Amino acid sequence: MSLLECVDLHVWFDLPHGGRVHAVNGVGFALDPGERFGLVGESGCGKSTTILALMGLLPSSATVSGRVLLNGADILAGGEDSVRRHRWRDIAMVFQGAMNALNPVKTVGWQIAEPMAYHGTARGARARARVGELLELVGIPASAADRYPHEFSGGMRQRLSIAMALACEPKILLADEPTTALDVMVQAQILELLTRLTGELGMALVLVTHDLPVVSQVCDRAAVMYAGEKVEDGPAERLGLAARHPYTRLLFAATPDLYGEERLATIPGSPPRLDAEITGCPFRPRCDVPTDRCADEHPALRPAGPGHQAACFRNEPQEPM
Amino acid sequence: MRSLEYAVRRGIFTVVTVFLAVTLNFFLFRALPGSAVSNLARVPDSSPELQHALTVRFGLDRSEWDQYVLYLKNLLHGDLGVSFTYQRPVSHLLLSDLQNTVLLAGAGTLGAIALGVLSGVVAAWRRSSALDHLNTSLAILTYSFPAQWLGLVLLIVFAGVLPAGGMSDQFLFQSPPFWRHAADVAAHMALPAATLILTAYGGYTLVVRSSMLETLGQDYVLTARAKGLPDRRIVWRHAARNAMLPMVTMVALDLGFVVGGAVLVEVIFSWPGIGMATYTALSQRDYPMVQGCLLILTVSVILLNFLADLLCFRLDRRVTA
Repeated sequence: MSLLECVDLHVWFDLPHGGRVHAVNGVGFALDPGERFGLVGESGCGKSTTILALMGLLPSSATVSGRVLLNGADILAGGEDSVRRHRWRDIAMVFQGAMNALNPVKTVGWQIAEPMAYHGTARGARARARVGELLELVGIPASAADRYPHEFSGGMRQRLSIAMALACEPKILLADEPTTALDVMVQAQILELLTRLTGELGMALVLVTHDLPVVSQVCDRAAVMYAGEKVEDGPAERLGLAARHPYTRLLFAATPDLYGEERLATIPGSPPRLDAEITGCPFRPRCDVPTDRCADEHPALRPAGPGHQAACFRNEPQEPM
Repeated sequence: MRSLEYAVRRGIFTVVTVFLAVTLNFFLFRALPGSAVSNLARVPDSSPELQHALTVRFGLDRSEWDQYVLYLKNLLHGDLGVSFTYQRPVSHLLLSDLQNTVLLAGAGTLGAIALGVLSGVVAAWRRSSALDHLNTSLAILTYSFPAQWLGLVLLIVFAGVLPAGGMSDQFLFQSPPFWRHAADVAAHMALPAATLILTAYGGYTLVVRSSMLETLGQDYVLTARAKGLPDRRIVWRHAARNAMLPMVTMVALDLGFVVGGAVLVEVIFSWPGIGMATYTALSQRDYPMVQGCLLILTVSVILLNFLADLLCFRLDRRVTA
């Protein structure tokens, strides 16, 4: 049994003036203990929505269907009260906005200790000692616990967010673009920290990013999302070297290479609107190798190698890409 | 250390402001048309000699500069002069008035704050619900009532049930037991306090609601939800604490104005407070009395602002200078 399994997840958002956006369309994946999993795609493809849905954190304008199984038990089935017990205790999260994820009027120590008391993992002096340990773990002196978030730099705040996420020793850490707002050196440090900590603590990591080199560097496996759907899923190094979906291949080609001389490749066009159901393959208008079937038929995920699947007709045995 | 420096800086600023206000206070009333003497002497057959004698007695024959220097000197000794009308020290007269006003204004403002914060927070949390719409419309409606009009309406409706004026029952003889006296004062205070609460709470509701809506959209509120905290704790400990910051200054300003500014309400309900005293003194050209009233008003606005600055600093450590 997988540690976390997400089965056929759909999310719709109600628009203020009627209509709905199908933001996540049948996404599924499984996560083993200690595994580092990447979720990749461009802005608006539903990757953040997917992980917010895992914790039941979407706003009330969202409708969610599908199952999220933690050790085989559906945590969303019992509504807000049942999912709340799993938050931070089993699944914790590091947010994108390192600047604003911390409450400006509370000391960082208070904020790190807060979930411990609430989930009953530590209180009082023990919680304080644990705050010190966590701060040291992410490379911040324990004495900084009494300071306020605005006294730290962006990179330090992201370290604080990570320390806070580790407070209740979660089994799974969801990281939503944890390095977006940071400069390259700090990005590298934070990624190294995340990799080291998941290894040391045996914690599984879901890393949401649009940065492909980051995925190959950090993750064991990754899924590529496009227009709310998962289009490819496999071992991280295979996605870079032997992608079976044209979107994945083009996405990797569009990554700047430090030593590359050529002009950067781009993917023309823009993702489809999600407020109406799409017929055929959602990537067809931008695809460089469309087939006749793509306009009318929706390609399903098919095996493309060991632990590797892709949703493209060219992925089928008779039509090698 | 930084807090001490901040307090001292604000303190110096406060003292300078008080001095300016005191000076303005003195010259403002000398610019009013009419004179105390012509008013007091409005008796049949008042001779020019009598008028002159009174002018000399009140010190009005001296130059304005001399009057000003004398005023400042006396003020430093806590001497606000002698009321032209009552022939008693202004400081004694105003001290009992101030107590009465603080009682009424305190009850009115605290009630308005409590009601405003509660309804504002609830409206923001249950945003766009029927409760929110009802709450917000009611707040706008009552906030737009002129206090004197609402006071009269309440008088007309409740005059038979609750005492219509004054501060205590004149016929409670022979020093009644404390609780009896307190209940009597509370009954007398009900209508004026209700007027103050109803006309003021809507302003707080609107400010708190919009401030809360902004705060609830912040990343740290999402963090708090992700931590698995219950709604009540998220709303009050994380969101409301931040949303209250603009309230502190608003409350301090209002309190200052209510101390001297509930003139109309005090006059309507014959409440023997500063507002009533201001009204009476103004119509009688009782300079020392008016000066005393205005002094209390301005100094309380300035001091409460000073306190608000200190409180803001205490609540939010990002505040500087």
